[in-house]
Parts: sequence; structure tokens; C-alpha cells
Amino acid sequence: MTPILSIQQLTAGIEEREILKGIDLVVNPGEVHAIMGPNGSGKSTLASVLAGREDYTVTGGSVSFMGKDLLEMAPEERAREGMFLAFQYPIEIPGVSTANFIKTAVGELRKHRGLDPLEPAAFLALMREKMKLVEMDSSFLNRSLNEGFSGGEKKRNEIFQMAMLEPTLAVLDETDSGLDIDALRIVAHGVNALRSPTNATVVITHYQRLLDYIVPDVVHVLWNGRIVRSGDKSLALELEKRGYDWIKNEAAVEA
Amino acid sequence: MAREAFHSNVLRAHEQLTSRLNGDAAAPLHQQRVAALQTFLDQGVPTTRHEEWKYTNVLPFIGSEFVTSLDADAAVTASDCARAMGSLAEALDGGWRVVFVNGHISLPLSSIPEHVNGLRIEPLTDALISKHPELSTVAGANMAATANPFVATNLALANNGVVIRVGSNIQLERPIHIVCITDVRSSHRLVTPRIVVLVEAGSSIDVVESHHTLGDMTALDVTVAEVAVAANAHVRYHKVLDDGESLRHIGDMRADVSRDATFTAHTACLGGGFVRNDVSVRLCEPSSQGFLFGTSVLRDHEYADNHTTVDHCVPHCHSEELYKGIYNDSSVGVFNGKIYVRPQAQKTTAYQSSHAILLSERAQMNSKPQLEIWADDVKCSHGATTGQLDEDAVFYLQSRGIDAAKARALMTYAFVAEVVERIDLVSLRQHLEERIADKLGAEPFAL
Repeated sequence: MTPILSIQQLTAGIEEREILKGIDLVVNPGEVHAIMGPNGSGKSTLASVLAGREDYTVTGGSVSFMGKDLLEMAPEERAREGMFLAFQYPIEIPGVSTANFIKTAVGELRKHRGLDPLEPAAFLALMREKMKLVEMDSSFLNRSLNEGFSGGEKKRNEIFQMAMLEPTLAVLDETDSGLDIDALRIVAHGVNALRSPTNATVVITHYQRLLDYIVPDVVHVLWNGRIVRSGDKSLALELEKRGYDWIKNEAAVEA
Repeated sequence: MAREAFHSNVLRAHEQLTSRLNGDAAAPLHQQRVAALQTFLDQGVPTTRHEEWKYTNVLPFIGSEFVTSLDADAAVTASDCARAMGSLAEALDGGWRVVFVNGHISLPLSSIPEHVNGLRIEPLTDALISKHPELSTVAGANMAATANPFVATNLALANNGVVIRVGSNIQLERPIHIVCITDVRSSHRLVTPRIVVLVEAGSSIDVVESHHTLGDMTALDVTVAEVAVAANAHVRYHKVLDDGESLRHIGDMRADVSRDATFTAHTACLGGGFVRNDVSVRLCEPSSQGFLFGTSVLRDHEYADNHTTVDHCVPHCHSEELYKGIYNDSSVGVFNGKIYVRPQAQKTTAYQSSHAILLSERAQMNSKPQLEIWADDVKCSHGATTGQLDEDAVFYLQSRGIDAAKARALMTYAFVAEVVERIDLVSLRQHLEERIADKLGAEPFAL
């Protein structure tokens, strides 16, 4: 079985500063991985590097996505190949309606896969169906993308896009931050509904709370640019109880 | 040198015109020409030391040896005319057309309706003005004396312009398309089209004014349009500048707006070697409204300068201005927006904003809001921004599978679409959406 994502000894940074200091991670089809860690440990950097943000420089290691070299691809190619990043802070884009945006994105994706564009009526029906999944009102379709959306609406919109694009790998970067419990449930419900034996999810989070709703197969702790511990979902509970200090101390001793 | 050359060019053209008057020298139109010529000679061609021309240097092209003519040129055929207009002709096919060739109305190339109730379109001639002297002073009796040097040039050489009159309570169903074509295939040319539009009470019309060239030499097109909007009338006046390098356009549009009436100006600058537009709206009676919109999408060395003036003369009037531009390569934009609120103009609401995106490090935008408010119970605001495209937003779109070039096109198109959307004349709006999308490499994304 080819893993969906295979990261080996990945090092990356911004300008002169190294943030990721050797990440190893393998994600297989059907799996949910959680990456936890204190602030500044490199979680969002990892998400940005996977999505292809230019501000970060990869200095070593490799990332293979569905057997292809991910680091060779432009951000849009990664998306077309099935990578999806749900942003921690979704960007507001004035003047571009949510509907036009998603139509353009899905159009690019289908073109890449050699499929004809969907008929407008079928597309509209599909959008409505996927919006229901995250309990978004269809009036959002005509509004400028994320403009004036509340924090919860922006996050739900991310999951709506994910539902439309049907990625092979979804990376959720702090999708739970700033969400109240109801919004959290809606977002988690959306993510769970999209799970399948052929795709995978990487959930990046600070808090164990989200993992009550999106149950991970593997939990990793990222600290100082490395994965210092991996375990099953009980690791998340232990972190919730004991905090991160014991892991930091253990990691310091090992180093 | 260039300034002197232009002076003698204008003087020569004026003399040429005078010599053909056949004793009409005392006629009101000619009196205005003489007064305007004096104004022009007193002021001279402006340099960048002149506040109103601070960013805009006309000297590089003003010194050419310009040919002027007394009549529309028969050498310009209907197919030349169609070629010059490009796809705009097709877009506005359902409208009436007034064609200027080399600054003079050409009746054979125009399609002017003869029997439309309440509509009269006729050449602006000495004879017409002698019969209706009031038509020469639509925008104020002292216009010739107070004009800027280029408006003065236009008035000094005014001949065979057009007068469009709409009687009361007429809702014109078709737009009137005023086409100014300058033939510079074999010589540089100075043309001075003059447009007068009078709309009586309760009527409404759409006007589209567009400027085109034939050939590669310099066309200095100095156009003046005066509009009088009577009580409860509504005039939507659109101006399209979407031509090549040879077009050097200096335009002046001015409107007087009466009680409960509306004047809307929309200026689209999509191409041309040099474009300067002055739009002045005077809100003369209570409850009158002025809307000024502008879209500029420029690249290469294109240049567009928009100067606006809104004069709130009386209480309870409303004005709104929105100008947006996208500047690529070495293109340059200017926005200068004046708002006057006179002491008696209480309860005025006046809003102005100008926003620009620069896509290249060489592109330039100069913005200058100028508000002079003498009344104390008013709501006025202005805002001017110049920035770059948000690269985080580009990345966001890329992360959804849209390539960077398309992401930029989508965002820049959306940026100016906010202005274009306000055009009520559907045929023109669709045309401009297509042209803008084409220039930005986007697709028109109308839902």
C-alpha cells in the first residue's frame, strides 16, 4: 500500500531561521493523524510547507504525496493532485463571490483530471448539498469570499470548500481555534462525513477538545521542530492532563 | 518650443476658421471663439508647475505639427469607422450614432433618427447658435473666459459640433453613441469635437462618448461636452477610452444639475497613449444628485489622469464618487477630486473614494482629494488608497487549485468590477466587462 503522505527528515525554515528540524511522518489511506504541540513548535510551518507557501524554504529531506515529489509542485498543482489545507486564518477576498471562487477552483480541478465542467444546474445543486453538510446558508454563495464572515463562518467555509474539492489529504491547521462548541461540532461533523478508506486527514491542533469529535488513529507531539512522541488517542488525553512540560523535559534528556 | 508651436497651431486654425465666416464675425458663436482664443493666449499651454497639471506633462506631444480641418473628412469611410470603433460598435448596435470625423460631425456616417418624438440631434453651427444663442452658454455664460487652456482651445475652434436636445418627459429607449474618430494615417491632427446635451424636465437618456484613431501618428483630441439636466431629469453619460498609443485625449465634461435631477458620469480608461478627463458637476438646485464613477485598467506606458469637481451650490444635494484602477508595467494614473460645499449648501452629503492597485514596481498612482467645505451641517468623506495585490490572497486561491496568474486576474477583475457593475446600460456594461477581463487575462465572472 502506497502511503498518501510520506515525510522524511524534512527540514525547513523562514529566512535564516530553521523551524522544522527533521520531521518524519507517514500517513496511510483511511487514517486520521493529529499533530499537537505547544506554540512555536512548528505546527503551522509544517502545514504551510505542505501547502507550498513560498515564504518558507525547505532545506532538506523529502515529501512524497501519492508517490510523487510534493516539493517539486507549485501550490496549485498540489491542490489539483488532491492536497487541501484548511487555513488557520482564512483570507478575505473582496469582490470574488464564494460561488465564483469555488466554481473556478472545481473547474481547474476537473480540467486537471480530464473531466468536463459540470452543468451549472448540477453544480448549484452540489454546492447546496455540501453547504448543508456544514449548515451554511446558501446566501453565503453570493457574498464575497470570507468578507465579513464570523470566525465560525470562515471555518465552516473551509470545510465546505474541502467538501467540494474532495481532497485525498486534508490538512486542518488549527481549525478549532476560535470556535464555540456548536461550531466545533458542525466542523467536526463535516470532516467526519468526508472521511473514507481512500483519503486521509491531518489535524493540527493545540487542544485535545477537537479530538473528542474527530477521533485520531495516531497522535504526534511536535516540539522544537521534531516529532518527539507518537501514540494513540490516549496520548492526547495525557497531554490534556499533564501539559507539555514532561514531554519537553524528556525530549531535552534524549537530546 | 513645444508651447510656442502649439500656440501658432491654434492661431492658424482659428484664422482659417475666421476666414470662412462670410460676415458672421459678429455672431454669438464666433464672439465666443474670439473670447476663448484670448483666454487660451493669456494662459498658454500648462506645464507641470501649474497645480492642475502637476503630474501631467503635455509638453512631450503638444509640439507636433498638427493638421486641423474645417469639416469632416470624406476620406474616412464607413468601414474605416467600423474598424476604428472595434467591438464597441457591435455592443452599441441598437443605439443611435453620432459620428465625428476629425472633430466635425459627419452626417453620412451617423445614424441620427429623424422622427423620434422629443429628440433633436443637429450640428452645432454658427447659424444654429445665432438662432438659439442660449445653446452656446449651456455651461455658463462666462465659460469662454474661465476655461482652462484646452477647453479654451476647443471653444476657440468650435465648429460642426453636435447639439442633442431632449424634450420634456421623454424616456429614450436607446443610447446615443457619440463617436469621435481622428484620422492620423498621414499626418498629426488636432481635433476639437464639441458636444452640447440639453435634457428637459422629467426625461432620461444614456449617452456613450468614445474616442478612436485611425493610423499611427499623433491624434490630439480635445473634446468638450456640456450637459444641462433639467428638473427631475436623469442623464447617464459614459465615456470610453479604449484605443491605441496614438490617442492623446484631453476631455472636459461638465454638467449642471437641476432640482431632483441626477447626472451620472462613468469614465472607463482602458487604453490610449495619454488620457486626461476633467469631469465637473454642479449641483445647482436642491435635491439634485451627482454620481461620478471611473475605472482605469492600464499597462505598458498608458496614462490616465482623472480630475473631478463636484460643486455643491445649494442645500440638500448628494454626490458620490468612486474611482478604481489597476496599473501594470509603467502605466501611470492620477486622481484629483475636488468637492466644494458652498456656505449655503447645508445638509449636503458628499462621498469620494479612489482606490488603486499597482501590479508592477514601475507603475505609479497619484491621488489628491481636495475638499473645501464652507457649510457646517454636512456629511462629507473621502478616502484614497494605493496598494499592491494581497499575496496571501493569491496563495489562498492557489491552495485551491487556481494558478497564480489566474488568481491575480480574478482578484484584479473583482476589484474594478465593483465600479463597472454600477453601469445601468447593460450593453455597455457587458462590453466593458469583457474588455476589462480580456485585458487582465480573466474571464467575466458575472453570476
